[in-house]
Amino acid sequence: MPKVQVNLYAMLRKYSGGKPSVEVEIEPGQTVGQVLEQLGVPPEQTRIIFIDNRAASLASELQGDEQVGIFSAIGGG
Amino acid sequence: MAVIYRVNLSDLTVNTETPSPEYLESGGRALTSAIVAKEVPPTCHPLSAENKLVIAPGILSGTGAPCSGRISIGAKSPLTGGIKESNSGGMGSIALATLGVKAIILEGKPAAGKLYRLIVNTDGLKIEPADNLANLGNYDTVAKLYEEFGDKVSCISIGPAGEMCTTASSIAITDVEGRPTRHCGRGGLGAVMGSKGVKAIVVDPTGGERPKPADVEMFKQGSQKFNAALKGHPLTGEGLAKFGTNSLANVINQAGAYPTRNFSEGQFEGTEAISGERQHDVILERGGKIAHACHRGCTIKCSRIYLDKDGKYVTKGPEYETIWAHGANCGIDDLDAIAQMDRMDDDLGLDTIEIGATIGVAMEAGLIEFGDAEGALGLLEEVRKGTPLGRLIASGAEVFGKAYGVSRIPTVKGQAMPAYDPRAMMGIGVTYATSTMGADHTAGYAVAPNVLGIGGNVDPLKPDGQVELSRNLQIATATIDAAGLCLFIAFAMLDDPTTLDGICEMLGGLYGRPFSADDYAEIGKRTLALERHFNEAAGFNSRDDRLPDFFKTEKLAPHDSTFTVPDDELDEVFNFVE
Repeated sequence: MPKVQVNLYAMLRKYSGGKPSVEVEIEPGQTVGQVLEQLGVPPEQTRIIFIDNRAASLASELQGDEQVGIFSAIGGG
Repeated sequence: MAVIYRVNLSDLTVNTETPSPEYLESGGRALTSAIVAKEVPPTCHPLSAENKLVIAPGILSGTGAPCSGRISIGAKSPLTGGIKESNSGGMGSIALATLGVKAIILEGKPAAGKLYRLIVNTDGLKIEPADNLANLGNYDTVAKLYEEFGDKVSCISIGPAGEMCTTASSIAITDVEGRPTRHCGRGGLGAVMGSKGVKAIVVDPTGGERPKPADVEMFKQGSQKFNAALKGHPLTGEGLAKFGTNSLANVINQAGAYPTRNFSEGQFEGTEAISGERQHDVILERGGKIAHACHRGCTIKCSRIYLDKDGKYVTKGPEYETIWAHGANCGIDDLDAIAQMDRMDDDLGLDTIEIGATIGVAMEAGLIEFGDAEGALGLLEEVRKGTPLGRLIASGAEVFGKAYGVSRIPTVKGQAMPAYDPRAMMGIGVTYATSTMGADHTAGYAVAPNVLGIGGNVDPLKPDGQVELSRNLQIATATIDAAGLCLFIAFAMLDDPTTLDGICEMLGGLYGRPFSADDYAEIGKRTLALERHFNEAAGFNSRDDRLPDFFKTEKLAPHDSTFTVPDDELDEVFNFVE
């Protein structure tokens, strides 16, 4: 099965056991939202999503081999 | 009673003035820029007697409004050659406001080699010799002052870099614990204070009174609304306290906009090691503190206390920009070394953004290798010793780059860029290019809608909509800086309209009349117009509102993008200024 690397940040890191990233097996065409459900990440806590460094959304589809970055609300500067 | 202290360092006199009705309602950036625009000849040398250093608490400082402890310091900048307002947290703003001080204006110039301290309390302002503080770092300076004046005072001071009048020098403001960790960092204002021979200002608020709103009920209602909006936003209510400003490292790196090795790449392989998440763990493992407030009344608490491996205090934070500047920008992934550099910057009185950028340029020049943390610390030691090389480092990225024949120098109007590459985040590039302050992220934080999904979404990789975005943010920010509010309240403001309602009610309550969102924007517009006019008279034109050419010609990985906002659109940012 194809895999994606999911990187969870800030408030969401607790859903990957404190690790920066987890590998997840997916069906091609599965959405980011579905992958997050698998990991138990509440969608309302996600604010910023990247697939391979480009902005994406919960509805974005994955094919495998992508790097997915998921953040809670982030700011500073 | 409200006062303005005019301190003449040529003849060592102090005039106590009653503020005009206009100045009485003003504060922060609006007041510093108004006074500088009115009184400083735009063509003067920034280190001459004609320049003035203006220190002003924000309009809401001292009133008890949440997150309102920002202090503004303004002058003609020796770094940019234009008008400058640099603001900071810490306790100085509240202390001055409690004494009814609207502004302190330092003018004139003493005989060479003279060093003074100013003592401000309920009796007024006194000038005293301070030769015993010469060449001391900020930490030793404030330690001596606290020993003499007790722990109720706040200190505003310069380090050796300011005494040497170098153009990357800052002005330190003590925090709640009395440490010199908060800085008006940008624009070399420490050099202006140094040129006036003022090493430190001691502010003792004992016996003073909080500024009183004319309409207490309206003020209270606004304050509660504002507080609720801050608490209700995931960032200002929780996220910034837990992970601090450096939670940005991973997201900006993911976006490919994390300037790496002197703006040559957009992603740093060592990001995780210097990220906010890692910093959070390191701080807690060593018994440091997260959720630390830099001034009383701050509810966001983005600051932290960083300890070394033995549990000994090193510094605050450090903040995102500082960690980036000395980290990714220099190819350094060692959080302890970065914290040490932050401590040295604070002690020497240097702008951490400018110095990190300068070390990056020094690495590009081959003086030391990218990634060489010890070499970078060595360059800061040169500043402490006051060697010719140290003075060059303390003069900032542009001067250093010219001296060493470097062509990739990331500056606008002579000021180094902060931690977002404009090729992968064009909105912030518009702010860098056009701000009256030189390259400054805080002047119009387009990062929020470009990448953070706050205040809407504007594609960071396209030029569309960036000019309007930057314009609106620059106007809104100029008023935040006038009010003395922390810029981070903007995250709530961009997502929740009750935030601005609350601010307007607080200002209306203070003034005793209705205050609208239009009135709010008007403060920002008027301030920006004054600043633009000053810069024009100082010799700036549209060609100064541009990024260095390499942002248009060198592609940035991973997006292989360049900065493509057209020049004629950049010239439209200030279309509201006549």
